[in-house]
Amino acid sequence: MATSVASKRLFTEYRHLTNDPPQGITAGPVTEDDIFIWEALIEGPEGTPFEGGVFPAELKFPKDYPLAPPTMKFTCDIWHPNVYPNGNVCISILHAPGDDPNHYEHASERWSPIQSVEKILISVMSMLAEPNDESPANIDAAKMWRERRGEYERRVRENVRRGLGL
Amino acid sequence: MSDQGSINIPQIFVILLVGFLLYRWFFTSSDPAGIRQSRQNGARLNPAQVEQLLQMFPQLDRRQLMWDLQRNGGSVAATTERVLGGRGLEVPPPSFQPQLPPLSSTSTGARPGAAAVKPKPSHPDLITRYNLSSKVGSSASIEPSPKPAWSQNKNERQQLLQRRREEMILAARRKMEERDRAGAGGTA
Repeated sequence: MATSVASKRLFTEYRHLTNDPPQGITAGPVTEDDIFIWEALIEGPEGTPFEGGVFPAELKFPKDYPLAPPTMKFTCDIWHPNVYPNGNVCISILHAPGDDPNHYEHASERWSPIQSVEKILISVMSMLAEPNDESPANIDAAKMWRERRGEYERRVRENVRRGLGL
Repeated sequence: MSDQGSINIPQIFVILLVGFLLYRWFFTSSDPAGIRQSRQNGARLNPAQVEQLLQMFPQLDRRQLMWDLQRNGGSVAATTERVLGGRGLEVPPPSFQPQLPPLSSTSTGARPGAAAVKPKPSHPDLITRYNLSSKVGSSASIEPSPKPAWSQNKNERQQLLQRRREEMILAARRKMEERDRAGAGGTA
């Protein structure tokens, strides 16, 4: 029962994202046989070192979606303060209300059923442009971003080029 | 028996009151004592401890960490507890001016470690992953990207999505190559 609610909702979101895709975002299930696993491509925001890049990520939805949020994991090399070295994204919209390990997130920023895949992806896109210094998931990247911005940007650009096979 | 064993309401009040007074006594008296104590051994602030804390919490301010360390008598555990407890650190008074190490020394100190972690491209690039190498060179044959459309047919939908992904990657790659060419032309 819960599963059918979740798949219906995911299907609706998929249709919406196909008919009216946000700028720089392509997302959908890897195969419709399992609508709980999606792949998203996000373009790096302009005016940032991520500009020009395309970043693939995998979204995994729980069976009780949209009550619980999906998890998101970049499947490329990405050097960013809020992305764990294994690719997992740490952003408040992916945290269910109630589990706030860091005590800084407002309830309104966190996951709730009125959020959507589209909002997650847009939030992640703006996270790429503006890292959140308060919750470093990648300590080395956070430190470099804060103290050696030039080196950070160079490294991000290298990853962008490598991701495109250049 | 049960009358003697149970606690009546006035007794609860007394216990609460005593508890509250004890709590207040400890709380208010420990603060000035802490300051007095820390002023005495203010000189022996261990830079290694500060570095250790900064590595754990790079988001925190060095001066605030030093202030907290000094106040609790140089206990890394107490400061860690305080930060993890979400209580945050106090803003030190302006008169607190510890010796801050020059910035360059810390960043060069951190560099070897950071560089050692660096080279491990664990993921294949997008061109390899999507088998696009055959389509990369043929930039002329690329039609304008298809209009986003929802198909009623499941397989067709799948193909359209796949096509949109490929278009996006190829477009990004083309753009990057053009930029490279423009850059090379500009410098030559």
